[in-house]
Parts: sequence; structure tokens; C-alpha cells
Amino acid sequence: MGSIIFASRKQDLSVARASASAGAIKTIFSRFLPHKEIAAQVSIQYIAGYLFHLGLFALLFFAAPHVLFVEENLLGFGWTPLPHWGFIIAAQAAFLGLIILWLRRMVDPVLRLISTLDDHIAAILTFVVMLTGCFALLEGSTGLRLLHRFTVELWLIYFPFSALMHSFTFLPSRAFTGAWFGRRGVDS
Amino acid sequence: MLCLLLPQFAAADGPPKNSNYPEGVSAVNPGSELWSAIRQRDGTVLQGTSQVRGVDSGILINARGDQWARFRVSKLANYGGIAIAAVFVILLIFFVIRGQIRIEGGASGNLVRRYTSYERIVHWTLAIVFLLLALTGVILLLGRPLLIPLLGKEVFGLLASASKEGHNLIGPLFLVSLIMMLFSYVRKNLYEKGDLKWLLRGGGVIGKEKLSVGFFNMGEKIWFWLLMLVGLVVAISGLVLLFPNFGQGRFIMEISHVIHSIGALALFCISLGHMYMGSVGMEGALDAMTTGYVDINWADGHHDRWGKECHDKNLVISAEEYARLQGKKPAAGGDVAT
Amino acid sequence: MSEKLEKGLEVLRSEVDSKVKSFFSSCVNCGICAESCLFYTETRDPRYTPIYKTEPLRKLWRNEYSFWGKIASTLGFSKPMTESDLTDWEELVYDGCSMCGRCSMVCPVGVDISGMIFKVKHALAKAGISPEGLVGATQRAVDIGSPMGITLTTVHATIKHVEEDTGLKIPMDVEGADYMALLSSNEIALYPEYLESLAKIFDHAGVSWTLSSDAFEATNSGLQIGNKAIAGQLVQRVVDGAEKLKVKNVISPECGHAYTALRWEGPNFIGKAYSFKVVHIMELLDELFAAGRIKTSGMESERLTFHDPCSIVRRGGINAQPRNLLESISENFIEMADHGNMNWCCGGGGGVSSNERAEDLKLTVFNKKKSQIEATGATGVVTACSNCRMVMEEGVETNEMDIELLGLTEMIAAHLEDRPN
Repeated sequence: MGSIIFASRKQDLSVARASASAGAIKTIFSRFLPHKEIAAQVSIQYIAGYLFHLGLFALLFFAAPHVLFVEENLLGFGWTPLPHWGFIIAAQAAFLGLIILWLRRMVDPVLRLISTLDDHIAAILTFVVMLTGCFALLEGSTGLRLLHRFTVELWLIYFPFSALMHSFTFLPSRAFTGAWFGRRGVDS
Repeated sequence: MLCLLLPQFAAADGPPKNSNYPEGVSAVNPGSELWSAIRQRDGTVLQGTSQVRGVDSGILINARGDQWARFRVSKLANYGGIAIAAVFVILLIFFVIRGQIRIEGGASGNLVRRYTSYERIVHWTLAIVFLLLALTGVILLLGRPLLIPLLGKEVFGLLASASKEGHNLIGPLFLVSLIMMLFSYVRKNLYEKGDLKWLLRGGGVIGKEKLSVGFFNMGEKIWFWLLMLVGLVVAISGLVLLFPNFGQGRFIMEISHVIHSIGALALFCISLGHMYMGSVGMEGALDAMTTGYVDINWADGHHDRWGKECHDKNLVISAEEYARLQGKKPAAGGDVAT
Repeated sequence: MSEKLEKGLEVLRSEVDSKVKSFFSSCVNCGICAESCLFYTETRDPRYTPIYKTEPLRKLWRNEYSFWGKIASTLGFSKPMTESDLTDWEELVYDGCSMCGRCSMVCPVGVDISGMIFKVKHALAKAGISPEGLVGATQRAVDIGSPMGITLTTVHATIKHVEEDTGLKIPMDVEGADYMALLSSNEIALYPEYLESLAKIFDHAGVSWTLSSDAFEATNSGLQIGNKAIAGQLVQRVVDGAEKLKVKNVISPECGHAYTALRWEGPNFIGKAYSFKVVHIMELLDELFAAGRIKTSGMESERLTFHDPCSIVRRGGINAQPRNLLESISENFIEMADHGNMNWCCGGGGGVSSNERAEDLKLTVFNKKKSQIEATGATGVVTACSNCRMVMEEGVETNEMDIELLGLTEMIAAHLEDRPN
């Protein structure tokens, strides 16, 4: 991330038509939705993608055991967790989304050509973390909780400099492209 | 109070004949009627009242529950396990006798698309969810007698706990996947002329005349509808079991469990046959659901009406075209894509 | 290691900047870019997936800049790049990509895919791995002054015809003029009506303008082949011509990539900002219209639609101007369903139309434009790029469509109100 944010960039010597920074900010938000011209063709990616990402986000930051963990071991304070039914819905969505997305990666010719081992490991590792978390739900079994903590550690070791980094690098990427289009006066 | 003490003194058999005991007095234990009634041996369910407010809290002893528990172990798990084992054996015998059903005339190399990407994703989503549920379900039902001797109590405890949580969490996904599958595949599974004939001829086992088959044969359609209907029942009974916060009493829970287990066992056994036919049992079948494409000879041989449609609509592609669509580099010196 | 490979890798390394690192860290291979690319949608060949076209750059980044890649290289696990990693991609980036930029618009994590494809082209061009057609065009552009081999003599001949037909004088090398107009080889050779239209419009609007005998060519073959050095060389010619004549503005003609080369990339290629402004003819006409200096009469009644040239609209930012202009002369105008910034490429941009090897592929992908046109029910397609026009004329002819292709500047000129001198 450091090499991305702090590297010097060559100044663009052409005269901008409109603000590059405005373009950068706009594009950070505009890319959350598909362009209507291709929306029908990419509906699976967006629907399953959001099911997975929103579900995982909700689980990661608002599942009661996680909030407790943060409070006891990291920050010293927590926040209101999801009610149990909310947690169940989030978990369902995350599982369904991930299963559909990974299967798509196995089945679609474009993804079969461009996918790397990194992509598959990221998906499967995330699935295993989610599954062990689900196994440990009863919270009575230390063995299962340990298994979950162990897979989480594996996931955290794998995280940096893997495909999973997109969770941070999507911000500078969208900003760069938004700026490029923005100075030309194009909403992207 | 004294009456409660009396059962201890009730002589069940009377004094031994050859002893010097004076003859005793035979009297019915006055408490036994009360206890018989409480124990509901005649089958009536007694509803009392209790200070505890809740569903079924007026029932002191649930005799039917004991029946259910015994049914679960001695009949359900027992016969269920035997059924699963039997299916494996039958499939093995079938394979040994019949072998793999080959493509008539061999594979031609020319292909036709049978399932789109979306159809394959839906199928495999349902399959993964189903297998996860089946595995955890079998552990929950048959784990104790089979796995404790193998793994010991501690490990089995972990496994069973994990299975329960896993089964419960993945369960509702089964309903979602089932509905996705329904919308995706229903049109091809509607009844067509000739399906009954196919069924009565056992799929071609009986009789000499060749059967005409559309996209799906009657066997596949029956499996689809069984899966949809029984699957729906299994899913709903599962939901009843998963969310006992809506006033379900013990009776509903017991019945739901029985329906859930029998339905699930039935589906699992038939799915083993489905998995067999879709992989080892038939040449070219697995390719259909993994790559999406089948050899045109496979189509003409097993699903002649669909095969003819493919010919009519010019949908048959060569092996080279198939490779191109998968992104294989064209041979050196070849023309770029047209 | 072969010379080609060494040169190619050297250039690829020079292209890895913070943007590239960010982009390759973000890409999760979701495949959404494929659905935006007409080379994929019309052929269904996964190799035309936009992010796949950046593979040479990506492999280098992975091997030499990514965490696991660097570890793998140190431990001897990684596969070093070979010459075929570059040569196998020649067809994909030169035949199968028109640099239209649609992929950069749709990527959910914001990767500028077409920008990175250009970096790959840069490496291939410098390593000598480019299609014959483009190499020849670039050579002619450097040696003769035009990729089509058009010399000043040809230009003078065209000027003579235009002067005869219009009765107007075409100013040449007029120092201190407000506007210096450039022409693309295409326009000189195939559409001299463009020069004629300029003469009429500028006379009507009273614009002070000139051509330059040192710098008349707008086409930048260096950009098309991806050679930044040559692209800069060709831009410098224009800059020298404009500075010699001390003009305030340079007009980029109805040519897509010329606008990109001159307006946006040029100052960076030559390493210096311009002392003049660059304006596209569409922008100038719209300005003149708004100022009341152009008055038109009469409306086209035939059903017309507009094809958005990628380099001018999506990558150039000139979206509203063509529509303003069309509104004033057409009473039966209908937009294509996918229009404006998300319109589809004609298939011939980025050097594809100069690449004979790509002819069949170009005609195949024209099917997308064909279905767009047919859906509008229009009988006339207006555009503002002579390359798009030429490519679409070919496509329309091959598909036996009853469609006319029209240039917007020409149409404005045809509707000019008669003004007393």
C-alpha cells in the first residue's frame, strides 16, 4: 500500500478540462453500481458479489462473538452487535454469495482462463474460515473455537499481497481511474 | 405418603412355594393406578397445569417422546443406515453387471451445449449445499453407533457439535438453492408425450423398440420433481425444527423430525443413484454438467428429440470451435477468430 | 535471453508505476470487463477479455514486484518470462483491442485496463513485435510525414480542388492566425469534403485560420503502434509548426486518436506544456454556434443517429457538443440505446484499421455496431471521426445495409445560412 500511495507520480502536462480530484471521488462511489448498458450481462457478479461482501462485512464486524473479541482483546470497547436472526441472515447471504461466485470461477470460460491459484486459494480459505466459524457457533466447544481462530490466523497471514488486498487497494485504483477520466471531463 | 411406601412392600410373585413363609396378602399397589395414568401407558396424553408458562409445560411425562427416541435409534437410524449401505451395494452390483453406458457409435468430437454457465452454477450450488447437509445430517443420525467406536467420545463430540451448527446454518440455503433450481430447470421438466411410455418400459430395459426422449427423460424428470417436492417438505420441516419459537410443542417437533429424517434419507439414497449415473454410470454425462457441452452422438443416442433440435438449429460445433470458446490459443499459422 | 525479450521486459519495467501496482493488486479476475468489450462479446473468445490482454505486464509485476512473486523468484519457483509471453500477445493487443476504453469504465475496482494495454503495446512496439501494417504506416509517418504516404504536393492538389469548388481561398502558413487546422490523412485522401466544409464554415463565421505546410498531418501512428518516442516526435512536428506560425489554437480534426495524441498525451510525450490551446473541431463549432457566429437553416428529415467516436467522447470528454450541433440541423434524431460515454466502438480504432491482418476480426466485431444501428431504425449514421466513418462504411457495405455514413462538420457546412459578404 505504501508503494502505491507514497510513490511520486509524473505530473500530467496537458490542460485539464475539469477537476481530476472531483472525478476521483465521484468514481470511488460510482463503481459500486454497474453501468446500465451491461448490467444485465453482469447481474450474477453483482448480486452474488454483494450478497457475499455485505454478508461477510456484517458478520466480521457485527457478529456478537467478534464484537466481544474486539472488546476484550483489541480495543477495550465494543459496539452493538447484530441480533441473532440478523447474524443468521448475514451468514446465509455470505455463504450463498461465496459458493455462487466460486462456482462461477470454476465454470465460466473467461474466468477459467484468467483466474490464478491466488484467486482460488482466497475463495476457499475464506470459505473455510466462515465454515469453521459456523461450526463453533455453539461456543461451548473450545476445540472448534480454536479451529476457527487457527483458520483465521492462516487467512490473516495469507491476506497481504494476495488477491484479498483488493479490499484496500480498490480505493486508490478507483481514484486513479476516476481522476484520469475526470480531468477529461468524463463521468466514469 | 404411606401409600407411596407401599409399592416397596408389594410382593410381585408371592412367597416361594417350598418355604415356611406364612401366606401374605395380595393387594394392588394403590399408587400404581396414579403412576400408570401419569405414565400414559394407555396412550392418553395428560395435560396438567403448571406454574411454568410455556408450550407443553403442563405435560409432566411425555411417553410419546420415549417412543420417538426409541424409534429414532432402533428404526430410523437402523433402517436408514441399512438403506444407504444397500444403495451403495446395489450401485456396485449394477456397475459390475451393466458397466458404464457408453456412447452409441463412440464420441464424434463434435459438441453441443447442454447447460449454460448459470444452469451449471445453480446445479452445483444446490449439490454442494445438499452434500454438506447430507454429510452433517448422517453424522447427526448415525454418528453415535458408528463413529464413537472409531473416533472416541471427545473427537466425536467436536464433530457432532460442528455438524449440528453446520447443518443448522446451511439448512436454509437449501431452500434458496432449491428455488433457484426450480426456476432454472422447471420448463425442461414438464411432462411430454412419450414420458409415460418411457417409464413403463423401464427406460428402455423392457422391449426392443427404441424410445424417443426429449431434453430430459422421465427418470430425470421424476428425480427433479421428487427433489423439489420432498426437498420442499424436508426444508420446511427443517425450518420448523430450526426455529422453535413459534409455539411448536413436542408433538410437532417430533413429527417434523421424523418427516425431515425420512424425507432426507430418501433424497440422499436417490441422489446416490443420480450421482452414479451422472459420473461413472454414463460416458459423457459428467462433462455435461462441468463443461456444459456434450458430444452430439451422446445427445442423439440418449436424447434424440433434443439432438434433432440441435441439428436443426445449427448448434453443433466442432472440437476446434469448442477449444476457441474456451480460450485455447489457435494453432500457429491458423486464422484469427472469424 | 533474446534481444526482443530483453527490450520488451526493459520497457515493461519502466511502465510499472504506482498506478500499475494498485491496479494489479485490486484485480480479482471477476471477468466483468469481458462483457464490456466488443471483441469478446462478438466472438465469445475468452482471450479477448481486456484484463487478459495486459498479461505480459501482469506477469512481470507478479514476478518482480509482488510479495509472493518475489519470494517465489528468490526460491527459484517462478517461471521466468519468455519471448512467447510477448509474441503470443501481439494479436490480442493489436488486432483484438481498439483502445476504446469501455473496459476502464466498467471495472468494479476501478482498474484502467485500456491504459495498461497501451503500456503493453509500448513494450511490444519497442521490442519490434508489431503488425506489419502498423510498422509500415509508422515508418511512412516519420519519413514522409503521413502514414498513408501523403505529401505536401498531394495536400496542395486537394487544396486546389477545394478552392475551385468553393471559390474560397484556403489560407496556408498565415502567421498570427487564431487557429491552425490539422488534417488527417484519411480526410485528405477519402473525405476532402472536410477541408471544403472548414473553408465554408470559417468564411461564414469569420474565423481567422490557416493550414501549415510543415505540420498538416494530425494522424499519430506512433500512438497507434504504441511507440511513445515516435508519438512524441510526430506531436513535436505539430508543436513546431504551431509555434512557427505563432497561432493561438490548433484544431484537431475529425479523427479520434489524433485528438488523444495531441490534446491529452502530447505534452507528456514531449515533456513540455504547449504555448497554444488544442481544440477539437466539434468543440470549436459548438463554441461558434453558442456565440451566434454560425447560423444554419433547414433541417434533415431523414432519421439519423450518432456514433460516438471512442477517443473523442469517452476518452476525450466531448459528449454534449456533437449533440448540440445535431439538434440544430436534424429534426429526426434518435440516440443509440447505448450512447454517449458507453457507446460501442466501431471496431477500427487504436490502429486496428491500419492492420490488414485484423480485417476479418474487425468485420466480425462490426456486428455490434450493426445491431445498434438496426435497433434505431435510422437510415443515416452521423459521426465525428473519419476513421470510424471509413470503418463503418466498410462494415455497412459488407453487410449490405442501406445506411449512409455522414460527417458532422460536413453536415453543418451543408446547412449554413447564406450570408451577405
